[in-house]
Amino acid sequence: MLEPLLGSKSAERILIFLFAREEGYATEIARLFRTDLYGVQKKLDGLEAGGIVVSKKVGRTRLYTFNPRYPLLPELKALLQKAITFYPEKTTEPLLMNRRRPRRRGKPL
Amino acid sequence: MTQAELAAYVHSELEKAGIDLVLSGGAAVSIYTANKYQTRDVDLVATGFTTHTQIKRAMLALGFRNVGRHYEHPDSTWLVEFPSGPPHVGGEPIGPVEVINFATGKLHLISPTDCVKDRLSAYYHWQDRQSLEQARLVAESHVVDIAEVGRWSRSEGFEEEFVKIAPLFERPRR
Repeated sequence: MLEPLLGSKSAERILIFLFAREEGYATEIARLFRTDLYGVQKKLDGLEAGGIVVSKKVGRTRLYTFNPRYPLLPELKALLQKAITFYPEKTTEPLLMNRRRPRRRGKPL
Repeated sequence: MTQAELAAYVHSELEKAGIDLVLSGGAAVSIYTANKYQTRDVDLVATGFTTHTQIKRAMLALGFRNVGRHYEHPDSTWLVEFPSGPPHVGGEPIGPVEVINFATGKLHLISPTDCVKDRLSAYYHWQDRQSLEQARLVAESHVVDIAEVGRWSRSEGFEEEFVKIAPLFERPRR
């Protein structure tokens, strides 16, 4: 839906992921959408250079979030909120219904 | 060449190539605080529709080399970067710019008031106390419209935070 506007499927996937989950790693974004990791990393670099996302090192991985200082962030989030309503359930369910509450280490699933 | 002189040189040379820029970020703080705060970065933001290709062509012509997202020159220790434009502070465009002339050229930079807003933005969003201190240093040595900074802070949703830090910007009464 947003690919024609953004010029990139990866950009759409990344932005939708960050909107839904608020933060993410390149690997988990690529894994969720079953897409190439290199493409996701390259696009994350571009979005970071453009000031739309920011990242920080967490352990050995880089965690990405929206840049709160991006001047068009409220408008971007409004756009993503509308876009996500058009996605099929098989796409939105894994995005939105991941477990977020803590689970004690070692407790069996 | 000092950091400010380099910024002015790049600014003037790229202006000849039709690229209009404004100095922002830490280098603006350095200039306004007479280097009480120092950074290696020179952030120049294009004010118009300028592509990275146009900037790269102009910078390479000046003898800079492109390293990732920034530019280095063999005769300089400074790192020149071109963050995405247009220049803004929070959700608003910058106000009128300051103009300073150096032997190496003319430099447009964000005003002291916008510089304070830019630093406070980092403090508000990331609780970065270094940025708060930099804002205070700029206001200590330049006329800053604190009422305007307050208005902007409210507009950004940080009125409560501004009220807490406003005493840092009060000038002592004689």
